[in-house]
This record gives sequence, C-alpha cells and structure tokens, in this order.
Amino acid sequence: MNVTIKLVGIFKIDRFKDAVREYPSGICVREVVDELRIPTHLLGTVLINEIHAGVEDVLVDGDTVCLLPFIDGG
Amino acid sequence: MKSFTSDPASEPSSVLYSRCTVDLRSGKIHREDVPCRNLEDVLGGFGRSFQILAERNINHAYCEENPLIVNTGLLTGSSAMTGLRTYFSGYSPLKESKKSLPAAMWSTGSGNFGAKLKWTGLDELIFENRSTTPVYAVIRETAEGPLVELKPADHLLGLSTHEKIMALHKEYGSAHFAAIGQAGEQWENVYMGAVALSTDNQLKSGEDKMRFAGRGGMGSLMGYKNLLALVAQSSDKIKPLTPEVKKVNINVVKGGGAGRLLPISRGGGGGTWAAYDVLQTFHAVPVNNFRPQGNNEPEKLFREHVEKQFVIKSEACYRCGITCHNNVHEKSEDGSVGRFLAKFDYEPLNLLGTNIGLHDAAQAASLIHTCDNYGMDSISLGVTVSYLLAYNERHPERPLLNGAVFGEYAKIKELITQAGLGNLPEIGRGSKRLSESTGETSYAYHVKGLEIAAYQPETNPGYAWAIAGGHMSMGTYGLLTREGKSDMESWVQGITRDKLQIVGFDMIGLCKFFDITKGICTQMVVDCLKSEFGLDITIENLAASVRRAFLRGLALELRQGYEKAEYTLPAEVWERPNPNIKLPNITHPEFIAELQKRVWEIFEPELDGLLPQE
Repeated sequence: MNVTIKLVGIFKIDRFKDAVREYPSGICVREVVDELRIPTHLLGTVLINEIHAGVEDVLVDGDTVCLLPFIDGG
Repeated sequence: MKSFTSDPASEPSSVLYSRCTVDLRSGKIHREDVPCRNLEDVLGGFGRSFQILAERNINHAYCEENPLIVNTGLLTGSSAMTGLRTYFSGYSPLKESKKSLPAAMWSTGSGNFGAKLKWTGLDELIFENRSTTPVYAVIRETAEGPLVELKPADHLLGLSTHEKIMALHKEYGSAHFAAIGQAGEQWENVYMGAVALSTDNQLKSGEDKMRFAGRGGMGSLMGYKNLLALVAQSSDKIKPLTPEVKKVNINVVKGGGAGRLLPISRGGGGGTWAAYDVLQTFHAVPVNNFRPQGNNEPEKLFREHVEKQFVIKSEACYRCGITCHNNVHEKSEDGSVGRFLAKFDYEPLNLLGTNIGLHDAAQAASLIHTCDNYGMDSISLGVTVSYLLAYNERHPERPLLNGAVFGEYAKIKELITQAGLGNLPEIGRGSKRLSESTGETSYAYHVKGLEIAAYQPETNPGYAWAIAGGHMSMGTYGLLTREGKSDMESWVQGITRDKLQIVGFDMIGLCKFFDITKGICTQMVVDCLKSEFGLDITIENLAASVRRAFLRGLALELRQGYEKAEYTLPAEVWERPNPNIKLPNITHPEFIAELQKRVWEIFEPELDGLLPQE
C-alpha cells in the first residue's frame, strides 16, 4: 500500500520532506518510525490525515502520516 | 541553609535559611537565620517569596512597602545539572487586575549569579524601601559569614545591561552580576524592565550573552528602588559529584529529561527554536499580532534557512550539558564565526520577528539584541509592539506614535529604542494599559495584564490560570498541539492537576529543561536532595508543596482584586475565530465558560487558609 510520509523539522535532515512510500498492509506508525530511524525520544506528535494519532495506530492505503518533533516550551 | 532534620516535610522549622534584609532608605542591613514554615520555604524560590508577599497589603507596585525579594532554590549552586536559578519577586508594576491592584509576581533566570549568591552563604535578600541615590549591592563571602554592602552607582547610570555587568566585572573578580538596563532605570515609563544575569561565557568573551529574569517588570521594581545592580562575590563551592547526582545528570541529558533540547549535532532537537517547525504544521505560529495567515511566511525564520546565512553556535549555561542556547553570529566570508548577534529562542525570535511582520533573521536579531541591552522583557515588549502595529493597521487615518505597521523594521526599531530609553510609556507600560487607552482591548494579547507567550491562545486556554504569565507557570501550551487533547476532561485535568506542576522548578532552583514534561516530582529530584543535603523528601511531599504554592499564587491574585471573569483569553479569539489554524476549536465561548466552571470547582475549595488572616 502507498502511504504519504511528511517529516517536520529535524526529522527532514538526511531524510526527506515528504514522500509517497510503499509499505506492507497492516503496518503501524511505530514500524514506519523505526524504518526511518527516527529517534523515539525526539518524536512528539503523530498526525494521520491531519488528526492526532498514536504510534500503535495501523495505517491504510492512501493515508498521510506526519511526524513532528517534541516541543519543550521556549 | 542549615538543616537539623532529614525530614523537612514533617519538621520544616528544623531547617533555617539565611536571609539578609537591606533597608535601602536607611542603609541598615540585618542578617538572620529564619526557620522554615513549611516545605515551600525549604524549597525556596517563589514558594517562599509569595508567602512573604502575602503578608503585605500592597496597592501600588511603586511604593516603599513593596519589597524586592531576591532568592535562590534549594538546588541552586548544587551539583545537580541546571541548578543555577535566581528568583526575583515582588508586586508587579506590569501585571495588574482590572481593579488596578498589582499582582504578586516572580521572574527567574539562569546565568551564574544565583550560584554565586548561594555560595556567599545567603539564601535570600530582601530589599526594603528605596534609596534616594543610585546604588548597587555587593554580597560577599567573608570568614564571619555573608556580608552585604551598598555602594554608590552613579557611574553605572545610563549604561546598558551588558555595559553595567562588564563595568562591575572589571572591579570585582570571582563575582557574578545581576543588572538592569536603561529601561529599568526609567521605571516610571517602563513597567517591563528585566534583570540581566551574567554568564561565564559573557565575562570571558566580552560578548553580551546574558540570561534574563524578564517577566513582570522585576527590573523596573529594582529601578524604582534605585538599585542598579547586584554583585555576588565568592569562591566556587560546587561539591564533587556524588555517584547518585552523576547518574541523575547523565539521565537529564541522555535519558529523555532534556535530551530533546540538545544540539542537533548531538542527536537532540536543537533547543526551543524547533517549535517554529512544529507549530507551523498547524499554522499556529503567531503572525502579525497572533493572526496566523495560513501561508509560509513563518518558514523564513526556520533554522534551516537562517543557518545558510549565519553561524549558529550551540552553547550552554555553566556546567550544563543540555547546551540549549542557539547563539547566532555573523558568518565571515570564509565561513568562520563573526560578530555575535543574538540568542535565538523561540519566544523572542517569534515575538520580535514573525509576530511583528518581520521575517528576516538579521532584523529579528537586531531587535532581540536591542531589547536585551536596554533590559526589557522580550515577550511583553514584542506583544505590546504587535498590538500597536495592529492598531495602526486598523486605523491608517489616525495611527499611534510613529505610525509603524507590520514589517516596517526601521520604524519598529525606533519604537523599541525609544521605549527602552523611557521615552514611550505607551509601549513601556504594556499592552493592557495601551489597549485600555485606545478602547480596543479585544486584540491586546495579554491575560490578567501580562502579555502571553508565542503560543496562540487558540491552542492554550490554560493561559488563564498561569500565575506568573505566559506558558511557564501553566504547562498546558502543548496539550492541544502536541498531545491532541481537545476534550473538556483532559483540559480540566491538565490545568488542575498535571500541568500546574511546572511551577515546581521555580521553587527548587532548577531550570525547567531539567525535565519539563515531568516536573520536579520525580525520583531524579528526590535522589539529588538526598545526596546533596541528606534530606528525605518524597515525590508526594514535593507534589503537595508545589500544589500549595501554585494555589497560594491563585489566592493572592484573587486578593489583589482579580475577578473570575478575568481568567479568560483575549476576546478576538472567539470574536474573530481564525480559520487558518488547523486544530480543533477549543476556545469558543461555551468551552471557555464550562472550563472556567469546572476548574474553579476544583481550585476554589483548596484556596482557604493559604494566605495569612487579614
């Protein structure tokens, strides 16, 4: 299945900004995060189709996943 | 601090803290050991200072009875990482209720001053009354204990924060400094004066890399008292690292406590600047006075674009491994590091950049630098300027001051410079007073008289219950954007239970980046207290003490005339809902009304007995 992945901030470094990628059906967000080697302690928010989601959520064909770093105030 | 118990939660009076009271009018100085009343006194910071403020009835910030309290937290000057905090407390010239009564306020910063103050042997300084002539105070470690002296400060008058610090540095070796700028000296027209705190990096490099206690105008209160600077002179007394504290410090940096704030080159997120990218995903980066426009303009100040033009040095506070500072320097032709321009944190960068229509890093850096050197709070300054620009945009036929509108760098710089010199009380006295003078209050982005931070109010109704302004005294700023919580239960729980715990850092002497999501009620803090002082304080003791201190702050607000209707957001949020923000709407009037009802139902019964009887 095809899933659009959007990466924000530091996650883009040495990766990409957005890309359509092919995954086996039934894959969850955590597996995408692992595949992209995104450090989990930096992962703040997951959006699936612009809605907040969790890393255990299962993806379906055509989904758009956005991975955002943690924010810590300022 | 002297402790004759290992259980200060049960026996607080067996812990004595060292206080020096300085009467600036008479020059009389009195030092004493004061027994703690409760665990808040033991922990220190605002937990202690607010109890002192609660004993006084103050109707105007600029009166002799309003003290300036300078204190530290229990872990300030300890070997626990980030233990550098100094707290400045008093009734605020800036934050006031609609009844025009000043609110109790604290402000805090790092730098090395706090540790030096602690190492002189003092835990607290109270400045009473005001001096008739400009003075500075020297706090010195001597064989007989801490010694405090007042010295003439005429030679410091008119100098910037950095210039004052460097002038004193020439005179006092092994010392660190707290100083106001010209803004604080012009306290009558500037209510948002900040206190600058010197850093090792600043004193060694000569570059103006200070830290600030900015919020609430504590620098203006210092200026009113004619107290231009503080000098803390002592030898360094940091204890050797114990295995327990070493483990905690490693955990702070590597275990997730603050790992996200490390430099990108060390596998971190690169400090608070990273918030730009995240919030832009939701079109929730403040633009043009908190009106995000759904476009890409904020991206111009993303780090990835700025670092093409400038050198960004990752630097740290003294002995801190987090290294969260992003110091922006000019890039020389050969790519080497040039002149220091400014420190880019999310708040000042946004509020003196994107939110006033400036998307050029050099221009934003120049304004941050100007603000810091005059010694103003960048949040209050930026938000007051953005209000003025919004007013001028709405009223081109009768603009205020020099008629500046969003994006007009030269005119904005002139406004900031003149405000810093005390020539523009319209700006220097903050957005509440300015908007009340124009009669257009709905788009003045303050809550309870204190300007909000660079998180859209649409994303944070918790602002209403922040007791010291912005987001750092109510940690709900990420509840919607980061955690995706838009239901009432989550917000009630967040405000009344979990997120208020953020203020614990402003008691104990640690920076919030020690572990911003979990607060101080953790085994890491318990281990530090045991190892450094032999104190057995449980997580539950800490949580109860932080909660009492927070609620005391709320009770003090109510005593200073705040009405429940003031626990709300700027009205523009629901009068002109912003369709560009891509998040659920949790700030419509019905949600706010229900939230107010539910939150007060929990808080109100707990407020009894927290303040002294009248």
